[in-house]
Order: sequence, then structure tokens, then C-alpha cells
Amino acid sequence: MGDPQQQQMIREAMKAIAERKPGRSKLVYDKTKRTIVAVVEGAQTPRALNITADDADMFAVVTVSSRWLREQWPQIMRDRVTSTLFSSWDDGDAFTQCNLGIHPAPSIIQGAVLFGDGIEPPDGTQLRVILTPTQNSNLDPSTFVAPDGSTHCAEGRRTSNNSDEAVTAVFVDVQPALATRRAGILETSILSDKSVLVFGVGTGGAHAAIELAKCGVGRLILVDPDRLSVGNVVRHPGGLSQVGRLKVKVVCDLIRDKNPDAQILTHPVALTYANVETMKPLIAQADVVICATDNRPSKLLVNKLCIEANVIAVYGGAFRRAYGGQVLRVRPRQSPCHECFVAAMPEESTDIEVSSVADAEEIAYSDRPVAIEPGLSLDVLPIANMVTKLALMELLAGKPSSLSILKRDFDAPWYLWLNRPEPGTQYASWPPLSESSDEMTINRWYGIYFERDLACSACGDFTSALAASYGIDAASLETLSSLPSKE
Amino acid sequence: MWTDEQRRRLVLEHEILQREGFTQFSVYWYRSTDTYEASGAASSNSGRAYSLAIPIPSGFPYQRPPMYLTEPFPLYMFDGTRVSSLGVSHQMHTLAPCSNGFVQLCHWRDARWHSNILLQKVFLKGLLWIEAYEQHLATGRPLAEFVLTMAERA
Ligand SMILES: [Zn+2]
Repeated sequence: MGDPQQQQMIREAMKAIAERKPGRSKLVYDKTKRTIVAVVEGAQTPRALNITADDADMFAVVTVSSRWLREQWPQIMRDRVTSTLFSSWDDGDAFTQCNLGIHPAPSIIQGAVLFGDGIEPPDGTQLRVILTPTQNSNLDPSTFVAPDGSTHCAEGRRTSNNSDEAVTAVFVDVQPALATRRAGILETSILSDKSVLVFGVGTGGAHAAIELAKCGVGRLILVDPDRLSVGNVVRHPGGLSQVGRLKVKVVCDLIRDKNPDAQILTHPVALTYANVETMKPLIAQADVVICATDNRPSKLLVNKLCIEANVIAVYGGAFRRAYGGQVLRVRPRQSPCHECFVAAMPEESTDIEVSSVADAEEIAYSDRPVAIEPGLSLDVLPIANMVTKLALMELLAGKPSSLSILKRDFDAPWYLWLNRPEPGTQYASWPPLSESSDEMTINRWYGIYFERDLACSACGDFTSALAASYGIDAASLETLSSLPSKE
Repeated sequence: MWTDEQRRRLVLEHEILQREGFTQFSVYWYRSTDTYEASGAASSNSGRAYSLAIPIPSGFPYQRPPMYLTEPFPLYMFDGTRVSSLGVSHQMHTLAPCSNGFVQLCHWRDARWHSNILLQKVFLKGLLWIEAYEQHLATGRPLAEFVLTMAERA
């Protein structure tokens, strides 16, 4: 397909086919020439194969960032050329400008955007995107609007082994395109000024962080000291090519590939009392905290710090082998906190998934080990989705959104979900899903109400209540110098 | 480093120990380092003397405090080996020993600890452990057999 005139005809015919309009020419496969040719409509082509719109995807595609090109515009006007790198995917079927995302293809080629056809590209250029000024106001994806308002249509050319092939050029504006897809449900940029802190970016926490970024949350703070292991990969969004990296870095990259404008802070530190001074300023910056860790001490620590900072926290956890899970939303001093929950429901609060060696050590003695029994990713994701949704509802509070109608549905502090009626649990006798209309079953969320403990040691005044029960005046505790001291 | 709430709590913990008859135990304040420790002597039903010490961690009461048996030292099992050599043991209800070798008694494990648990209850578990330990010395059977009823829930 070296003939430029023929190529122009093909391109026009393709366009007509793609738009499903009758064109003045159509494409046929000419068996004698063993190539596709454009012929005038109505011409006799007995030995030809008609090409339909479904076959229209016949050229490779080169995708260029409009934002980048606008930034490069002064240079293009001056030099008539600017270079850039492209990921070459699928044996040269797609060329994606590297700066569009963060995961490059294994094969990278050098490309250039040229202003006009007569410009010589730099040595080593394998892909050219050639701009031609146009008066056509019909903006299609191959048309670029420059910062000065001028419009240009682009065509791509791939040079390999001395042959020159046409490539369809497409310009993309990442942010408006992403925002448009969210619009209607979430008004554009409504969440761009919001910060979410995620403690623990294992399977559940990583999923929640990525989903929030897709919703347009502008700032995510990720805290987790662990590295991605081969054993994690069956459940975690990170893949085998990322094994050994810190989970916060893996998730950071996954988010940036979804929402390049999101600001992401990563802290590979453990959630322990030794690191409290690191945690406090992070919590203070957050609109909502998600706690997706799987052990009691870290949850109690987050609980205390969030109550002190008056930040809403959402706790998610899977039961053992993820037969189910629970989500607790804490609005400090308004709804029950995690300590209130522990006091009210000791059974539920200690049924935890054991998905890592550290989790197992947490609850095991060395002479009576606890098996690592992680659940399926499939069974963890409903819980992670609920965590995300509850966090989203808090972020949208007071903002106009079509999701506001859900406020009444997410009123309870605690949510329970079962993936299966696990033998040996209180849920073993639940009726089959299909037979029950009024009893509790698997695969449904139950919002459950319970009271805040006003004498809670974390969110209430435990000390005063306890003192009163001993007939001690709480005020006297401030002045009681009765503690024996030692040097 | 201590909040007012923590200091009030520790004063109250001391007061409750005295009022509940645990007068051999006190919450001590170390003036020079501004640290706290709950400790005291415990004697078993057979009259032998032991010492228990609970250094108060910075996150108390949200952070679980460890309880160490500091006297007699070292502490031996029926067969003459040191209890601390077991490390974390279900058979002997011990957690990781202190760096200087004091045995850490299991009272509530991290997964069960919450901030409503009083030091009085922690010491009570220490006293139960000591009785079970003496049963172990007398019979050679694992300590765990004698503390089966020590429910972890408070
Ligand atoms: Zn509470």
C-alpha cells in the first residue's frame, strides 16, 4: 500500500465505513494484487472480497497526549519537530505515548511529531506523527486543537525495514476523558480536593485505594511496610512482574495508571506505637481513614488516633478463610468506635482472616501454630467494595451527588456479609439463598445497629465511669498524688 | 509523653488495686524517666514468693502491657530447663521473654486485648499462672492443663 493516492482513498473509504455512511468508494480485497484497494461504488469487482465496517480496524493506532502536545507547541512552532517515546504493543498494532501511563511496553520506539510532511525527523525515528493545518471544524480524534486555536489533522507513518506504513493517529486528553466517564454519577472533580489515608494495602486495602482513585479522589496516602510476595499475587492487584516491590509502591503505580493527576504519598512503615508520631500528621491530613489491616492492635491504635483527630474511619476485615466479612464505620463520638464494637461483639471482632505469616504469629503460640488460610480474592472484594462505598459516602457528605440518596441505606455503623454458611459458625444454619425471603442469607449486606458505649475507654469517659463505680470522685484523680514514686 | 487521660487512668488503676485487696501491687511512677510500672510481690497458696512486673507501654491502655515474672530468677521447669528457653509456648502459657530473660506470662494475647481490661485482672491472671506453675512443678504435666478455665474474654 505504498501509493499515497490510493492510501488517501482508502482512508476516506474507511472513514465512511466506520461512520456507517454510504461513501463514494468502498474497500475490496483484490485477490490478484493480494491487497486491499478502494474502488468506486457500483464498479464491478467480481473477484473481490467486500470489507465491512467490522473489518474497519485495519491500521495500527498511534495515541498521543493532547496535553503534552499543547505543552510542546512553542517548540514545534520553532523547530518544526519534537521527539517522544512510544510503547510498541502487540507486534506493532498499537503505539502508545509513554508519558500517557506509567507501565511501558517491553518494546519502546522513538517517535516524532512533525509540523508538515517535508520535515526530516531525527535519526532513529521509527514513528512519525505528521500535522497538517486544516479548516475542518468537524473534530475527530485525529484532529488536534493547538493553544493558539488553530486546528491540525494528523496522520501516522511507521518506518520499518525501509517500508512506510500508515498508522491512524489519535489524540487523547486524559483528565477530561476520565471525568466525562464519571460524570452523571459523580460530578466532575467533586472529589479532587479530598484525601483518603489507607492503612494496609493488601488485597482489600489496595482494591479500595484503586477504586477511590477511579472515582476521582485527588489525594491518597498509603501506609504499609510489606513487600509483594509471590503468594500475594493470586489475590493482590499487583502482578508477578512486581514481586519484591513495596506494596505501597505497587499500588501507587496502579493508581497513577488510572488517575494520573492523583497525588499519592507512600509510607512503608509499620502501624505500631513506635511510629505514632509519623501517623498523627498523616491522619490529620485525611478526610477519611480506611483501616484494612488484619490485627487487633493496629485497629485499636488507628481507632484511638482517629478519635483524637476527629477523623472518620472505616474498618474492613474478612473472617477466617474469608467465609464472610464485616465493615465498621466510626464517626468519632457520634457512632460506636472500634473499642465499643469489641466490647459489644467480642465474637465477631476476633474472627479474623489469617492470610500471612505475620497474621498467624499474631494469634499463635510457637508450639501450636495457626495455619495460614487466606480466602479467595473473590470473597474479599465484596468487603473491600463496601469499605470503598462507605468511604465514598463520607467524602460526598454535604456535596451534591446522585449518590446522596444512599444516605438512608448506609445509616448503620456495622455491616455484615457472608460468602458461605461456614460449618461451625453461628451462620451454619442459614437457609439457602434461593429459599429465603425473610431470613438472613449469604451474599447480602446487613446493616446492624448497636449502641455507642458512653463509658468506652477510647471514645467515652471510661475513667470517670469506672471511678464512680468505686465511689471515687473523678475530679480527685487529677490531684491524687497517691501514686508511689521511685527514682 | 503521657496524656492526662493516661495519667488519670493509672492513678485509678492503683486505687482499684488497693480497694480490691490487691494491696501487694502498686502502680509506680519513676520520677527520673517519667515512666510507669505496675509491680509487686505475689505469694502462692503454698507460701512461695514471686514478683510480677508490668512495665506500662506508651500506648496504654490501648496497647497491651506485658507482664513479666521477675522473681525467682531464673525460673525453672519441672525438668530443670529454664522456662524462658521455651519462648512463646502454649504448653506453658508464655509469650516472648524479656531481653534480660524474664519470663513473659500470657494474660491476654494481642488479638484479644482491649482497653477496658484493668491491671487488677492482669495481676489476677498472673496469680492464677503461679498456682498452675506450682502444679506443673508438682506433677510434671504441662501448665496449660491447669489453666483451661482461664477464659481470655473479659
Ligand atoms: Zn468507643
